[in-house]
Amino acid sequence: MKRTTTLLLSLFLSSAALPLAAQTQITTTITPDKALQVARIAVPRPDTTLPLETINTPFFAPLTRDLAYSGVFAIAPIPPNIPPGADLAKAANAQFVLALKIDKQGEEFTVEARLLDSTGATQSGKRYRGSSGALSRIAHTIANDLVRTVNGKPGIFLSRIGFASNRTGHFEIWLMDWDGANQRQITRHNALSILPSWSADGERMVYTLFPTGGTSDMYIINRRDGGRVRVRTGLGLNTSATFSPISNDIAFVGSVAGNPDIYVIKDDGTNLRRLTSDSSIESTPEWSPNGQQISFTSGRSGSPQIYTMDADGANVQRISFEGEWNDDATWSPDGSQLAYTSRIDGRFQIRVADLVTHQSRILAGEGSNEQPTWSPDGKWIAFQSNRSGRWQIYRMRVDTGSDLLQLTFEGENKDPDWSKKETANGQ
Amino acid sequence: MSKAFKAFAITLALLALVVAPACHKQQPIKVAPSADTGPVVPPIPPTVTTATAQTVTTEPDFVSPKTETVSTDTLPNDIEELNRVAQARGYVQDAFFEYNESTLTADAQSALTSSATWLKKNGQYNLLIEGHCDERGTEQYNLALGDRRANQAKEYLVTLGIDSGRIRTVSYGEERPFDPGHTEAAWAKNRRDHLVLVGK
Repeated sequence: MKRTTTLLLSLFLSSAALPLAAQTQITTTITPDKALQVARIAVPRPDTTLPLETINTPFFAPLTRDLAYSGVFAIAPIPPNIPPGADLAKAANAQFVLALKIDKQGEEFTVEARLLDSTGATQSGKRYRGSSGALSRIAHTIANDLVRTVNGKPGIFLSRIGFASNRTGHFEIWLMDWDGANQRQITRHNALSILPSWSADGERMVYTLFPTGGTSDMYIINRRDGGRVRVRTGLGLNTSATFSPISNDIAFVGSVAGNPDIYVIKDDGTNLRRLTSDSSIESTPEWSPNGQQISFTSGRSGSPQIYTMDADGANVQRISFEGEWNDDATWSPDGSQLAYTSRIDGRFQIRVADLVTHQSRILAGEGSNEQPTWSPDGKWIAFQSNRSGRWQIYRMRVDTGSDLLQLTFEGENKDPDWSKKETANGQ
Repeated sequence: MSKAFKAFAITLALLALVVAPACHKQQPIKVAPSADTGPVVPPIPPTVTTATAQTVTTEPDFVSPKTETVSTDTLPNDIEELNRVAQARGYVQDAFFEYNESTLTADAQSALTSSATWLKKNGQYNLLIEGHCDERGTEQYNLALGDRRANQAKEYLVTLGIDSGRIRTVSYGEERPFDPGHTEAAWAKNRRDHLVLVGK
């Protein structure tokens, strides 16, 4: 028994005027067992002397959007003119009320967020300080803290998605917040730059650069100063590079004389190790979350299929058997599932395979859908699709394939990689 | 009521419409104290910890003030012109592949044989072989496939007597199609080794 509600996101974000909301259809699906875990929360107008216009777009819209997508809270409609407390909770039939107070001294905003229960008693409370530029980060931080308070686990609202975009004329590495906001270019090589992959601590990304001159090289970019370092492997290709979650190792595809294999190298360019030695094509390595295994794609059976091996190359096991082209395997955060790209009837779809039961299911969509990447809480998958005629990045729920949201609109956008940390603010 | 607050209230009401019907008529959620079936809420000290405010700042975020250009070779214009002429006159000829194959077909071998003949006579140029794939595969596997295609041609040219030190390879996978179309004719053009003359 399912109940589905659909409306245009642009309606409820009309006052927020977010470009990403344009004509995006959102489907919310809540099954009865899940509804039990969703708490209704009333979020009245912040107590502030500041003009609401200055607060809404940078702060209130992202906060309420985070809560609405949290899977933990449902926003309760509120009657007017009731101050935060037991009366409001009762009138809104809400289990929680979020009381927000915003002050500004000089250039610094102070936001006080108190979570009240239905009796009006404070369950938790915290103050947050920052400049106007930090207001959306404050909103995401509050949402994370509220989810942690009720759920025991932090939200994913400070996580980010790295990707490649050609909106400047050629592909460079870009970054966006989990909701598609704050899209910004982080490399300026003026040369083809693709396949970014986060380090476990969110401080670095590794990617492939094609400088003029006919090579492809591995580069690391640092968050703190934007500095870029080339990792010299001595091999060809240097594609699909990915950081180990537990060490400074980077797995990648290297090639010697036209034989692409999976290699591992330290991030300083030392200690190169070859993990596969088959004469077939090997590509697309991805570490398991505990760093003990690596999934990869191999053509050794005659078609590209998904395999796993231990991090030293031993104990190779074939995972995919269906269809004649599978690639882009990526592990769920708990390590129990692999999502990968699987060709079905001439198009690619995202397939999610359980590594214990060996059962798989397809999250089908229009067009071709490739390069899945998991949110840190394992509830969402971002991927690229050409359903609009151009490659764009979308996000959907892993369990149902619902709540589809297009995150990019300018140029072509691909190679999404979701940061591994649950938050990106040192928490 | 201010205009802004009206918009704000409408926002909330509409937002509530998204979620409320979804929860409505579900099993009602009970709230503590008789929270047998209610959500699990870990006990929290009922105090406001306003004394410890967390500072949230904007931090440097991968952005370098400098524009960095990574460039190894800058080819003079006359090399580009030479490449146009060499392709047009068949001095060097691209080699084409079957779908998801890196084996050199008879036609591909013939194209490379002609190219080798010209390269032997024109030792002042080196060769870059670009491996390309059609869009039907996946990006990451195709990068590896393009590498194999480029190296198959290199190996063949070496057996025909070209010094391996004169030949470099790169794979562009499906990144740089020659024909942007989505037909078999376009795909066939895009599965190729593209031979590029470079200066020494």
